[in-house]
This record gives sequence, structure tokens and C-alpha cells, in this order.
Amino acid sequence: MIAVLGLVIGVVVGLFVQPEVPDAVVPYLPIAVVAALDAVFGGVRAMLDGIFNDKVFIVSFLSNVVVAALIVFLGDQLGVGSQLSTGVVVVLGIRIFSNAAAIRRHVFRA
Amino acid sequence: MSLLTNVMDHSLDEGYAEAAAARGGARDSRIPGTLRGLLTLGAGLALVGAVVTVGAVNAHKAEPTLAKERDALIHRINDSNTSADRLQKQVQELRRKVDSTQQQALPSGDADAGGLSGAVGLGEVTGPGVKLVLEDAAGTGQGGNVDPRAGQGFSNSGRLRDRDLQLVVNGLWGSGAEAVAINGQRLTALSAIRAAGEAVLVDNRPLVPPYNIQAIGDGPKLLTAFENDMAGQYLRLLQEKYGIKSTLSTQKSLTLPAAVGVSLRTAQPVTPEPSPTATPTTAPTSSGTPTTGPGTSESPGASVSPSASPSASPSATSGGPTPKRRPSTGSAKTTTGTGAARP
Repeated sequence: MIAVLGLVIGVVVGLFVQPEVPDAVVPYLPIAVVAALDAVFGGVRAMLDGIFNDKVFIVSFLSNVVVAALIVFLGDQLGVGSQLSTGVVVVLGIRIFSNAAAIRRHVFRA
Repeated sequence: MSLLTNVMDHSLDEGYAEAAAARGGARDSRIPGTLRGLLTLGAGLALVGAVVTVGAVNAHKAEPTLAKERDALIHRINDSNTSADRLQKQVQELRRKVDSTQQQALPSGDADAGGLSGAVGLGEVTGPGVKLVLEDAAGTGQGGNVDPRAGQGFSNSGRLRDRDLQLVVNGLWGSGAEAVAINGQRLTALSAIRAAGEAVLVDNRPLVPPYNIQAIGDGPKLLTAFENDMAGQYLRLLQEKYGIKSTLSTQKSLTLPAAVGVSLRTAQPVTPEPSPTATPTTAPTSSGTPTTGPGTSESPGASVSPSASPSASPSATSGGPTPKRRPSTGSAKTTTGTGAARP
């Protein structure tokens, strides 16, 4: 209940408050979104596996977002930002896909 | 491959397994039971929701900005086009005004003012004449399609060269042509026929074959004179040896456009004593006949008529209406203007 409420509050805050994203951070927002989705899928799968841990979830979420943004930032400074962000998206995408597959196996038994 | 396998196999954060092992391997923790755990989960999910929503909102906001930038660019292009058109119109208007002012500035006693502009190439002229069409030999590259690396350039003797064209035009002048245009481009005494790279240029404008040369003069007489001239024989030689086609025909009525971008130039004496051996500052490049140096032996008044003798016609056009004699010191001041042209 509280979890669903938290999600709703987050969406509402994002929609209505519309926090002004600093221009310096804007390029890393899509990567942060992908990292957040990865953490969410990981958490759901862990929940279905029966090994969910709230602390691990929130720490992995935060570190995923920060590390992904940091890698892309570093790439930007080195002039390979687009390549590195492609790499981050590929790795996180693979993880999201395999986690989604595990969730699907849990839910549909197939 | 092992990297990809690693990514595929360890898609779940290992922290979950470690935490579960630390708790004693109990696999029953589906949702945190304590209030603190629930709150943490809620806060985490709130963060996730906020990040995802902000990302989506940001992408949504950026879209109209991009469209707006594009619109602004299109707007700027259209604006620039409009202003360019306006300037072009202004140029035409001013050119017309300059023309009329030039006409007014000419001394009223000069009855040949109108004819003069025709003779020097500044005015449109109509009359009988001949038309000469020159075509490169078949199998040679045509105009812009020439591949410079294909060996089809001027080294290929089937193409007409600038020198050939110069010779033909000089032959036309020599045969009595009063006005000559190549591909609709009027030649004046200051016109240059040159080659740049693979292209033949007239007044720095590239020509595209076939070369259509129109000359105004006494049609049949001009035709005969040209065919008997050295240039005519040269053209026959080109046709026989290299396959460059030339078609010469008389025309009842030809209209040659005025030359564009011609500015009047006059030389003004620094010392009052004129020297008879002076030449104009700019020598005619293409249309000057080899026999008569412009402005040397003939009096300016004799060469202003468009129907003057063949050799005089080009000289009337050299360096403006009538070039003033340059002193022998060689230092001449070049000015532009109409009134200053009369000696």
C-alpha cells in the first residue's frame, strides 16, 4: 500500500511540480531513466524470487543512476559520450530484458 | 562472449542474494514486513516515479523547442530570400537609372549616342547576321558532365578549346561582324574567352556546348567573308580532322542582348600634351583585330558608328566609348563616368 502510494506520489510530483532540471544535467536524464527502470525491474524480480530487500533496492537504484550518469559524463569529457551512452543503454537494456523475462516466468509460469 | 554471458546471467543485483543469505537464507521476504522497510520502498518507488516522469516531461518539453528552432530557421531563410529578391530588384532599378543617366549625360550634340551603346555592346541590337553552331566531336564529354579523371578534357582533341573560339570570334569580327554573342552572352571589347580547368569561359562565365555564336552583320556577305577567312578554313580543318561539327547559316533577324557588368573607363591625361602613340589602359582581349590597335590611328569620331568598317568596329568599343589619349609618361588615371569620355 505504502509502496503504491510512494510510486503515485513520485509520478504526481514529477508531473505537477515539474522540477527545473539544470541544463548541465539534461543530457544525462534519459540514461538516469533507463538506470531507474533497471533498478525497478531488478527489485520486482527479487520480490518474486522472495529475496527482496528494501535497502538493496534503494541503494542499487541510486548507485545505478549516479554511475550511469557519471559514465556518460566522463564519456562527454573524453569526446566519446555518445558511444559510452550507447554502451550503458545496451548493458542496462540487456539486464532489463532478462529481468523482465524472469518476471514473466514467475507470473505466467512460462 | 563471456562479457555478454556475464551480463545475461547476472541481471539481478547480487546485493539481493547476499542480503538474503545474511538473513539466514529464508526465501520468504517478498515484501518488507516492517513499517520502516515499507517506507524505504515507498520512498524508492517515489524517486523512481519522479525520475521517469521528469525524464518524460523533459523530452516532451524539448520537442516543441526543437520544432520552434526549426521554424525560426525556416523563417530566417525566407526572410533572407525576400531581402535578396528586394535587393535584386533594387539593383535592376539602379542599373536602369544609371543607363538613363548615362544617356542624359552624353552631350546632346552626339547624335550617335544610341548607336554607340549598340556598338560597344551596352545596348540590345537587332539585325540580320549569321549563326554559327559549334559542337564537340561525338563521344567527348559534354559540358558539366566531364569527368576530369577520365581523360576527356582538353587533351582530347575532339573538344573545342578556348583558343579555337577566340580564333572564330576574331574571324567573325574580321569578316565584318558588328556585334557578336556566344550562347546569348554579348561580347564587348573587354570580353575575355578563356579556359579554366575543363570549361571554356566567356567573361568568367562557363559555356555549355553546343556553342551558339551569333553575329550581326550583312548576312550573306559576312558568311562568305568568314568562310574565306582563315577562321573558316580552320573550322573546316577541325571538322575534317577532329570531328568538331560547325554549322554556319545566315539569319534574317537576330537579337543580341546587351552585355552585363560593363563599366565605363576613361583615361585622363596628367599633362595637357597628348601623345599619339598611347594605348588604352585595357587592351581588348578577344575581339580586338590584329590589324588595328584601338585608339591609335583612327580618330575616335570615325569609329562610333555601328556600321563602321570591320576593323574599326571593335576599336570603337575598347575601354569605354572613346578612350582619351594617354600621355607617353605612361601614368594614366582611370576614372569612371560618361562625360569625361569626350576628348
